[in-house]
Amino acid sequence: AKLIFTISLLLGTTITISSNHWIMAWAGLEINTLAILPMISKSHHPRAIEAATKYFLTQATASALVLFSSMTNAWYTGQWDITQLTHPTSCLILTSAIAMKLGLVPFHFWFPEVLQGSPLITGLLLSTMMKFPPITLLFMTSPSLNSTLLTWMALLSAALGGWMGLNQTQVRKILAFSSISHLGWMAIIITYNPKLTLLNFYLYALMTATVFLTLNSIKASKLSVLMTTWTKIPPLSATLLLTLLSLAGLPPLTGFLPKWLIIQELTKQNMAVAATMISLLSLLSLFFYLRLAYCATITL
Amino acid sequence: MMKFVLFLGLCFALGGLAVASNPSPYYGVVGLVVASIAGCGWLVSLGVSFVSLVLVMVYLGGMLVVFVYSVSLAADPYPEAWVDWGVIGYGVGMGLVVMVGFAMGGAFDVLVDGGTVNSAGLSSVRLDFSGVAVFYSWGAGLLLVGGWGLLLTLFVVLELVRGLSRGAIRAV
Repeated sequence: AKLIFTISLLLGTTITISSNHWIMAWAGLEINTLAILPMISKSHHPRAIEAATKYFLTQATASALVLFSSMTNAWYTGQWDITQLTHPTSCLILTSAIAMKLGLVPFHFWFPEVLQGSPLITGLLLSTMMKFPPITLLFMTSPSLNSTLLTWMALLSAALGGWMGLNQTQVRKILAFSSISHLGWMAIIITYNPKLTLLNFYLYALMTATVFLTLNSIKASKLSVLMTTWTKIPPLSATLLLTLLSLAGLPPLTGFLPKWLIIQELTKQNMAVAATMISLLSLLSLFFYLRLAYCATITL
Repeated sequence: MMKFVLFLGLCFALGGLAVASNPSPYYGVVGLVVASIAGCGWLVSLGVSFVSLVLVMVYLGGMLVVFVYSVSLAADPYPEAWVDWGVIGYGVGMGLVVMVGFAMGGAFDVLVDGGTVNSAGLSSVRLDFSGVAVFYSWGAGLLLVGGWGLLLTLFVVLELVRGLSRGAIRAV
């Protein structure tokens, strides 16, 4: 049965990414949602079951909204092409649907609890592979999207992702808030230069996969356990430090590259205020990355 | 005729409301039946009678029957009917949402423009029949995707409720 779920995850992602008809995109999203549910609830712990329920309800609502937006667009323009989403109401509904799928503020409430209730590898899949189809849909419809709405959601995501991650001791919740904050960076630039969104996503997926896999090998789920990493695999704690600083976006590490390019593009589009605000709000997430790095590398 | 279509739409929304106001499943299923019958009537008014019959057969004859059997096995000693306070609260709240939806959809001022989906210009075959035929011939890819999705749903549900005596699908 696990094979069917893994194949379905790959199938669903591939269907959505390679689609040009809204029905195929929706079918892929639904297959992804269904396939990951048993992976979230594998331990049958009440917290895992609750996480699976929350995930299913929010993602099903978002899929329904995707269908509504595509149908409204088909009603008014007579075609179902994803790149030709021209009706403004459809773009609005689609933006909120994708925000719900990704976990952008104000639709982020499910994300920390779902990540906390799932095993670490499933959490990795939730943060990287499940984000890929919605971002692809945003990429394909990016010329028609409303930049004001996306900028507001992005700034609020960076703010809330940073602020709410500060008081966490559970690593999976910290990673959820880091994901929300990175999604803010991805969303702010999508209407101006969608390729930067994709670059940001690829690099974020790589770095986050590293962190999740590291945490999985040392079986750490909270900060106190993270403090004993140096006894288990000392080089791993060193690389974890570098990866966390890269996630925070510190030069000269790779994580700085998307931030730099995004700030440059925003400034060229006369959005210097937004660029400044999102950079300052990323300082909040820098604090909890530093705290994670400190806990991982301190030798007691 | 227009008024009847609007009445069917009202029944659909009220059926949905009956389910969403969180009574016990025994009473919620009545709302589902009303909503699905109204949805079928709506489809017939649009002209696609075949799809409407398929909906009735699969939804009421298949899914709802299985649902009723499984719900009757999980006995609830004090089921929440529609006159309990929690249900009334939900009902009022969502009734408000439904009214706002109707007002914004223009149901109170402007009548619905009746349209059908007969493809008089394309061929002599009606769209819903030919749609199913295309689904099995040129649209084989989508058929495979849909079939895989259904198979996946089966496995997901089996996995979610496996070992119910040990674990929790509903931790009380």
